[in-house]
Amino acid sequence: MFILSDVYRMLIGIGDRVLSTSMKKAVKWDHPAGPKYVHFWSPVMKSSLVMAGIGDLMRPAEKLSLNQSISLAATGLIWSRYCMVIIPKNYFLGLVNFALGLTGLQQLIRIAHYHHTHPKELTKN
Amino acid sequence: FNTNFSTHFWGPVANWGLPLAALADLKKDPEIISPKMTVALCFYSMLFMRFALQVKPKNRLLFACHFANECAQLMQLARFLNHKYGTPKPMKQYQVPSDLVQSK
Repeated sequence: MFILSDVYRMLIGIGDRVLSTSMKKAVKWDHPAGPKYVHFWSPVMKSSLVMAGIGDLMRPAEKLSLNQSISLAATGLIWSRYCMVIIPKNYFLGLVNFALGLTGLQQLIRIAHYHHTHPKELTKN
Repeated sequence: FNTNFSTHFWGPVANWGLPLAALADLKKDPEIISPKMTVALCFYSMLFMRFALQVKPKNRLLFACHFANECAQLMQLARFLNHKYGTPKPMKQYQVPSDLVQSK
């Protein structure tokens, strides 16, 4: 884990030295919500959950976990509201959380549809 | 105990749904575990444990939430791997003697 921190710091140091000032302005290198700060990377990590949720579209509907879908939808929607309220406002995180809420909702709808069309198989969930 | 119920409090409270859902799912059929989501949640919680301690102010509630989530997701991952790739017959030291097994 410390190795990853050192790799990250090395890359940032290289970026600081190699990029010219105009390039830095174009890429927003020194921005307070830019790649040097955690406010940038946390939504990048959270988008991996969104991608896992989209990958789960392939799974058959009876294999989805109801509890997890409810908690993903709830946390996504609540966080997308609070991203607009915190200081600094983090629109990137808000978007990612909104997408997470939508993913959770689509899983819930798939589970509901499955139970609606297969009323007798209520053993697993 | 921090009685300041600001967004720093309610954000992590919303995130507690994930470990609680995973703990409730421990009893259920391992068929419903999604491997992609479980692995993604393991990495996500690992990174957010560090994030929670690095932001100002330090958010220990968020840290506790992600620590719990990491443990729960690792348990679910172990159950999933055991279910998918494990052998149906348990190892000899884990076999319960037949006179102790309760018939359902």
